[in-house]
Amino acid sequence: MSKVTSQLNLKRAESLLGTTDEWVEFRDIEIISLQFSQGYKHSLGKYSKFFIELENGKLFGTYCPSCNKVYAPPRPLCPSCHEITTWQALPQTGTVQTYSMMHFISNVNADTDQLETPIALVYVQLDDTDTLFPHLLYSDSVSIGMRVRVAFKTDPVQHPIHLMHFVRE
Amino acid sequence: MTDRTPVIVGTGMTPFRANRDDSNTRDLATEAVLACLKDAQLDDVKHLEHGLTSYESDHFNRQMTLGAILHDTLGLTPLPNVRVEGGGATGALALRTAYAYIMSGLCDSILVYGVEVNGKSISSQTANQLFALSADVDWEMMVGGTYTAFYAAMMQAHMYRYGTTEADFAYVAVRNRRNAFDNPYAQKPMDITIDDVLSSRPIAEPYKLFDCSLLSDGAATILLATREWAENHSETFMKRPVVAFAGTGCGTDTMRLGDRFPNITHFNGKRIAAQMAYNMAGITDPLEQIDVAELYDSYSGVEIQAVEDLGWVAVGEGAQAITSGTFDKDGQIPVNLSGGLLGRGAPVGATGIAQAIEVITRIQQTPAMQVGLTDTHAGIGTICVVNIFEQRD
Repeated sequence: MSKVTSQLNLKRAESLLGTTDEWVEFRDIEIISLQFSQGYKHSLGKYSKFFIELENGKLFGTYCPSCNKVYAPPRPLCPSCHEITTWQALPQTGTVQTYSMMHFISNVNADTDQLETPIALVYVQLDDTDTLFPHLLYSDSVSIGMRVRVAFKTDPVQHPIHLMHFVRE
Repeated sequence: MTDRTPVIVGTGMTPFRANRDDSNTRDLATEAVLACLKDAQLDDVKHLEHGLTSYESDHFNRQMTLGAILHDTLGLTPLPNVRVEGGGATGALALRTAYAYIMSGLCDSILVYGVEVNGKSISSQTANQLFALSADVDWEMMVGGTYTAFYAAMMQAHMYRYGTTEADFAYVAVRNRRNAFDNPYAQKPMDITIDDVLSSRPIAEPYKLFDCSLLSDGAATILLATREWAENHSETFMKRPVVAFAGTGCGTDTMRLGDRFPNITHFNGKRIAAQMAYNMAGITDPLEQIDVAELYDSYSGVEIQAVEDLGWVAVGEGAQAITSGTFDKDGQIPVNLSGGLLGRGAPVGATGIAQAIEVITRIQQTPAMQVGLTDTHAGIGTICVVNIFEQRD
């Protein structure tokens, strides 16, 4: 009976290569179990307005007054001309430019835990924008060129990005 | 002025395995470094001037400041040390950093050791959450996205625009796993068919299980030095062909795929990195001048994108070139003879170093192979590194 309460597993390791084992003195292995968990306060910072407006059923991107590009998701600093952008309300319709039907998803929060697979990750060019917005499409089928629109959730969510998703237009 | 171009003094690595639970990162690094020092046959280890630690994740080890800890474990104190991290490109970026340290004159020799354990020690739920931290958390991961899906979306667009098929990239999954049979350090050689790949279970369409590379535990080490240092301190250096670190390039791209629109089918950072490395190494016709290469096949289709981005074939012609055997063992440029990430495995901090060891060893042992290239990237090509090694007289 071991006195080490954390002792999880003992094993005898094998030499992986060659016939002479220079580590012969070190082949008894103990593997223990440890716990480590932590919570976070996470500021959404300069991106916050996007998430705040989702609760109002509005979709915002950012506009660069220098190159006229519209970014969705928003970029507070234009990567092309290093200008500080301005907020701009966006149309809530767009076109799927590429996608993947996911059979496994990242179970990273209470919101994704509720999702059923397979489910499509779609990259949508919202009308009048210059980038692609990545999000889930709630639909049985998906294809490049498909027209979609934003749908909003009113139920409580853990991460505010789940206040929206895409559905077929 | 003396040529300070780094040369290879020694190499060493552990076998790559799915789960080395008989070892922790210190043990794996020790095994790889001892193998490297044995290969280099130094007159005295005390002549080493610098250490460089290459690893990606602080989370899987339950230990931060691993640079200093491994450096100590390996008996390298009080030498200077630097830790390098660059996502999936960590190992290749470590070598690029070592190149700069030697060229700048900061040191004449530097021991580059990369190691990773890949999360088999934690629950899959925890591993999933930790892996998720390497993407853009608020925008792509929180919706449930996975790296497989990001890569898959790129390939979906590639198929749509260029007519690439699932069987085309299944060819890569089959070939690289078969190549791994010749590599005793490989994690999972397999003799499978294109049909096996096509009928394996879908992960994120169009990618299926056998299109996906391996997660591995392992370590790899390369000792780089100026030629003068190598001649003075290594017994083996003069007994085999001299291999120089002839070129290194690095390019980047946006974190999120959608921010690259309309360029969502390729790795622009890789094009930049390749051109930079080609310029340094004097390569003007890569398909003719490169003799052997290790490409970053994190997913099978990525190799098709890579041969296009490296400028070996025209955009849209990668699939045809690959399936006609151009990059097979006996093809124009043998690619991923080690088995690649698909067959040999990928302990992140060691991957780029292991790729370099593969092409360096080929150059040392094969007279017909004089120039070797490694291609490594992080994220979906977010940081790309191309390194070139060549035989010198």
